[in-house]
Amino acid sequence: MTQILDRPEARHLASTPPSGNGARRLRGKIRKEIPALVILAGLAVLVIMPMILVLVAAMSTDVPRPGNAGTGSFTWENLAFLTTPEATKGLWNSLMIGFGASVIALVVGALLAFICSRTDAPLRKFIFIIGMAPVFVPALVGALAWSMLASPNAGFANILLKDLGLDLTINIYSMGGLIFVLGLFYAPYVFMLVHSSLSMMNADLEEAAAVHGASLPRMFRTVTMPLAMPALLGSGILVFALSMENFPVAAVLGNPAGIDTLPTYIFRLMASAPAQANAAAGIAILLTAGLVIITVAQQWIVNRRKFTTMTGKGARPRQIPLRAWRWPATLFALVYFALSVALPMLALLLAATQDSPYLTSMSQLFDGGLTLDRIVEVASAPDFLTSLTNSVIVAVVAALAGTTLNFASSYIRYRTTSRLGGLLEQISTAPLAIPSIVLGMGILWTWLSLPMPVYGTLVILMIACMSVALPQGYRSISSSMLQLHSDLEDSAVMLGAKRSRAIVNVTVPLMRVGIVSTVLLLLMLAMRELSASLFLFTSNTRILSILVYDKFENGQTTTAAAISVLFVIVIAALAITAQLLGSRDRQNKSLNEASDSGKNSL
Amino acid sequence: MKIVIENLQLRYGKFTAIENLNLEIGDAESVVLLGKSGCGKTSTMRCIAGLEEPTAGRITIGDTVVFDAEAGINLPPNKRNVGMVFQSYAVWPHMTVFQNVAYSLKLQKLPAAEIRQRVMEVLALVGLEEFAQRGASLLSGGQMQRVALARSLVMRPSVLMLDEPLSNLDARLRDNLRVELREIQLKLGLTTVYVTHDQQEAFALADRIALMQGGRIVQMGGPTDIYDAPVSASIAHFLGVSNVFDCQASLGTDGQVTAQVAGTDALVRSTQRTLAPGKDLKLCIRSEDFVLSRESRGGVNEWAGTVRVTGFQGSSVRYAVELKDGSELDIFAPTKGSERFGIGDRIWATVAPENVQVLPAEVPPGHNIDARLQENAPLQEVVA
Repeated sequence: MTQILDRPEARHLASTPPSGNGARRLRGKIRKEIPALVILAGLAVLVIMPMILVLVAAMSTDVPRPGNAGTGSFTWENLAFLTTPEATKGLWNSLMIGFGASVIALVVGALLAFICSRTDAPLRKFIFIIGMAPVFVPALVGALAWSMLASPNAGFANILLKDLGLDLTINIYSMGGLIFVLGLFYAPYVFMLVHSSLSMMNADLEEAAAVHGASLPRMFRTVTMPLAMPALLGSGILVFALSMENFPVAAVLGNPAGIDTLPTYIFRLMASAPAQANAAAGIAILLTAGLVIITVAQQWIVNRRKFTTMTGKGARPRQIPLRAWRWPATLFALVYFALSVALPMLALLLAATQDSPYLTSMSQLFDGGLTLDRIVEVASAPDFLTSLTNSVIVAVVAALAGTTLNFASSYIRYRTTSRLGGLLEQISTAPLAIPSIVLGMGILWTWLSLPMPVYGTLVILMIACMSVALPQGYRSISSSMLQLHSDLEDSAVMLGAKRSRAIVNVTVPLMRVGIVSTVLLLLMLAMRELSASLFLFTSNTRILSILVYDKFENGQTTTAAAISVLFVIVIAALAITAQLLGSRDRQNKSLNEASDSGKNSL
Repeated sequence: MKIVIENLQLRYGKFTAIENLNLEIGDAESVVLLGKSGCGKTSTMRCIAGLEEPTAGRITIGDTVVFDAEAGINLPPNKRNVGMVFQSYAVWPHMTVFQNVAYSLKLQKLPAAEIRQRVMEVLALVGLEEFAQRGASLLSGGQMQRVALARSLVMRPSVLMLDEPLSNLDARLRDNLRVELREIQLKLGLTTVYVTHDQQEAFALADRIALMQGGRIVQMGGPTDIYDAPVSASIAHFLGVSNVFDCQASLGTDGQVTAQVAGTDALVRSTQRTLAPGKDLKLCIRSEDFVLSRESRGGVNEWAGTVRVTGFQGSSVRYAVELKDGSELDIFAPTKGSERFGIGDRIWATVAPENVQVLPAEVPPGHNIDARLQENAPLQEVVA
């Protein structure tokens, strides 16, 4: 009897259970977070797991190897490596290089930015290009070119000096050389930040100073400089961090002189036989910890800037008349261009046209005649073709997958109420503070310990490229996402479209330019990637940057030069396309602004 | 269609955007949610649309429960058949006007001929039939606004919602579109929810106005009711009453209120017959209710003062008049049919007792109107 009575009530409860309400709401909440959780899992495999494995390796007796995923037992002993003379010397060198390179980059970059944005020096448009151009030369290629220009025995510059009868040798294989080349190639980062700060600066602020009776130099000292300070500091610290973690320049220019930095020391420990991987991990942790601190400081300084000088639309800032210094200022920019782009490219081209890398006089340059034979020969060699194919496959897949992943994280962060958005952003930008070479080690161990046959294939290189470039891709796609008002997508939903449909019909087409330029940016970064791939390639999966490095290490410098020339051409083509797209985007935007201001005239 | 909102609440962490809101909007009625920014008006609209998920309450559109926290119902926005015109217009720049307007009909997979007919019909209604093939990014602001409206109307929504749709337009265009909007709403018999912070807009467009403060409805009524009888001094001030003074007031034996402006001995008489409890009372007088003259008329509610600033505003002249005690009156006098005064003139300002209101400074905390029709007002106060 009770059963019969109970039944309808039970059915009623099943349809709307008042007590199960909390549980259902919780389940609903979790269901809503599923997309964010999937992305989080992806990012965890790309970034978190590698870092955990490096940390574990730093405190254990073994690392995962092919066929053995274990990490041995716990020990503090690896940390003892931090006190070896090599490690302390490496740390000291890295700090010196970081400091020296950032001073050079700051002076050069800030001066160029100032000349370009605030003076009446001639050729300012060209100076802007000069300030940006070296970004597109991969550090590896830049270092290689400078070793051809100024190696003590065979460098073109030294041969020329000898031809001229001067008893003077420029030795690029030295601490000074390293600092010089890094400073030269990282100056554009300072240039970009300071230039945008100087040209976005609200002219009213300066004019207010002028109106209140400040002389030009005084106005500059009391108003302009303090306002540009965060950009100067921020970019200086950025260059410091980049130089400290840089592997290719230190390897190309430091190795011949026996100068070890932390990254090259890590590489040496990993490459020695038997490999001292756990020791390398210990040093990697030291380097990473240092970079995390530096990067946090840098982010703090740069982000603070937004509240002080950015006004969005500013009137044109004041121009300072240079008078007699007009041409010397432009000359300074031209010299920088010669040192950072023109001479290195010339050296690569000359080296690529030579049969023998060893000249004793510049007159021998033309003995064999300048032909493109070597470049053609290199371009048709099987190892070049294989590497090129590998590079293209890796870069295309990494760029497409990376953009998709970045789009998803950015969408969750900026367009949904998901509680995981902030976390996704933090993980996506974390690789800024992780040296690529360390991320590479971690990725190696991650995929050796996961039961998937990824090591030894191109897939692991794609993963590395994606992981290293996460921050750049995330920022690029996010800036585009933030410019798009969410109402545009919401209105499609209000008109009856499912959310996914609205994204496809409205958001993606309107972000088209941002998405394409993100893909191109990631393509470019993936093409240049070297440091993270060092431990991940096998003889069948060499990519272009590895091939160049290998050839150089084996003494085949002319071949390395020839490949570099081709390499730079590919990257420059990508970079120019990206720039053109970007400027078209800006033009469209200014068109929109124009129509905004005219919108009241119905 | 009718909309019923019951016990609606929206919280972000500790911040409460909407607190226990009860509102019913009748079929074909136009209700304006009026309030300052941050009062919860846009949040309320977004909850009805489904773009925001309330933390508690129930929303019914027609016979469909679209949201019910208790029963775990939350119909996605694309299934609610609610039209929404955004403040930013949100017209898609990568499509033509026609494609923008046809979007919802294409989603419904209607035959092309029918889509064409309905789109052209609605474009004619908003006066844009000649712009059908134009790219949407080439339109002016007013035109974009019409496209956004047409795009929402073409799907024949159960409810049309407009979020400050005129705030980005210049003054004259705004006046014209306001009239047009009201005309279209009446012609189509659409249930409309309109959000604005502009009282003029609210008065012109509403059958009823829901005044919101701090996530609550503090006053609900027809435009005239609200204009004539704001329930607090802060609402009066928001509605454009610029002369607000601290005062002490008492209900006299004649059943009328007499107030004494703080810091003066001037007694002000009002024909008002009730007095809100509480000490914090304010005397409120509209600028246009003063009469100015050079001589004293010897009646009630008269102040002597000196003209400090004048401002010609076309149809009216605005005076700042300084009183003996240093306080200042803000006065509008019609340009036509009244004497003009200059700076430094000594004048008398009079106001009729029926134009004097003595109101509490603020509505009491927790004051929350249940604006559901089935309760069949007199409007009830609910203490949350």
